[in-house]
Amino acid sequence: MMDRRKDQEPAERWREASEREADLIRQAQEGDRQAFEALLRLHEQYVFAIIGSFLRRKQDAEDLAQDIFLKAYLAIRRFRLGAPFAPWLRRITVNTCYDHLRKTRRRSEITFTDLGESERDLTHILAEQGSPSIRTDIGDQVAARDLAERILADLAPKDRLVITLREVHGLEIAEIADAIGCSRAAAKVRLWRARRAMQAWLQRLIRQEEDTASREGRNE
Amino acid sequence: MTCRDVKQLLRRENVEGPACADDSALALHLKSCRRCSEALKVVRLSSALLQSLRTEGGGPGPAFYLRLQGRLTDAELVQPDMSLLHALGLARQLIPVLAMGVLLLAGVTLSIGGSRSLLPDQVRGGTDVYAFSLDEVNLPGVVGEPNRDQMLAFVLRQDDVLGPESVRATDRSAVRPRSGRQVE
Repeated sequence: MMDRRKDQEPAERWREASEREADLIRQAQEGDRQAFEALLRLHEQYVFAIIGSFLRRKQDAEDLAQDIFLKAYLAIRRFRLGAPFAPWLRRITVNTCYDHLRKTRRRSEITFTDLGESERDLTHILAEQGSPSIRTDIGDQVAARDLAERILADLAPKDRLVITLREVHGLEIAEIADAIGCSRAAAKVRLWRARRAMQAWLQRLIRQEEDTASREGRNE
Repeated sequence: MTCRDVKQLLRRENVEGPACADDSALALHLKSCRRCSEALKVVRLSSALLQSLRTEGGGPGPAFYLRLQGRLTDAELVQPDMSLLHALGLARQLIPVLAMGVLLLAGVTLSIGGSRSLLPDQVRGGTDVYAFSLDEVNLPGVVGEPNRDQMLAFVLRQDDVLGPESVRATDRSAVRPRSGRQVE
């Protein structure tokens, strides 16, 4: 009896939350901006998490979030009541991020010799031990992010989006396809291509690192 | 452990787990196989770099929503009247219906007008052609279809005035239908 009541509680809570969300959407569609703000507050963490994987400066992230929420406000009247709101907002977020990536894309050829001493060390440590080795050190985290951004900047913006949504945010292929507006097969192909491109980059770096290490070993 | 096993292991993206780290068979294979060792490093590095992009607890600042409300007000001022847009949208939806109605009306008109203009009084040869032409060209005063007497009177009158040869010529010209009146 108690177990059944325990099972019902989350379902009840979920139903209440979705009813509240539907009410807020209805009010926002009628032009209630306070309701729209309340609706955004329910989803802001997720939106900022997606933006945060492309933009590091808080001010830049907030500017992009403003654009996203403005687009959502202008389009909310066309939102079909009863449809899930989160994927709709995610689509707007991803599309806005995509536009931003397209505008700011800078391709850069990275070689191992371009990396600083700390980045070289980090590359070595990460390759040997994986990500748990840097979780505590903020300096390493920043350096890792620098390197990741430099490598991802070379990918096509859509490929970069796909690999970030999959590997960083853990979205399913169907969700990615819905977010970027393509078929599942196309999303899979993009993901495979992005992974391969990134791994080719890293393979080159690792080989250069090994060559450098062996050369230094010979000199000594 | 073989290279194929390592490949499968990497495909499962389970390279950071303790099972993988403690796998002595894997460690033994990696010592002897440079290719697999490199592949493992690439996967580890790739995974670690991507994880560094994950941001946690990054919400908006305190003035964020105040600024957003300002932008929403600006956007509403710039935006055209929604009721007008709505009406235009409805009108746009009605365009196909209106176009279909116009085409339908045009078709009906054409079919009615067409039956009137195409051979309204079809006269099927011989005497009838002659009678029709007399009616149209030479007997303007006759209302409706001329009877035989009226036609005979006309022929005789022509014969009296011009002689039989000219009557024949008149007949020929009279028989020729006017343009626009097709005779089957």
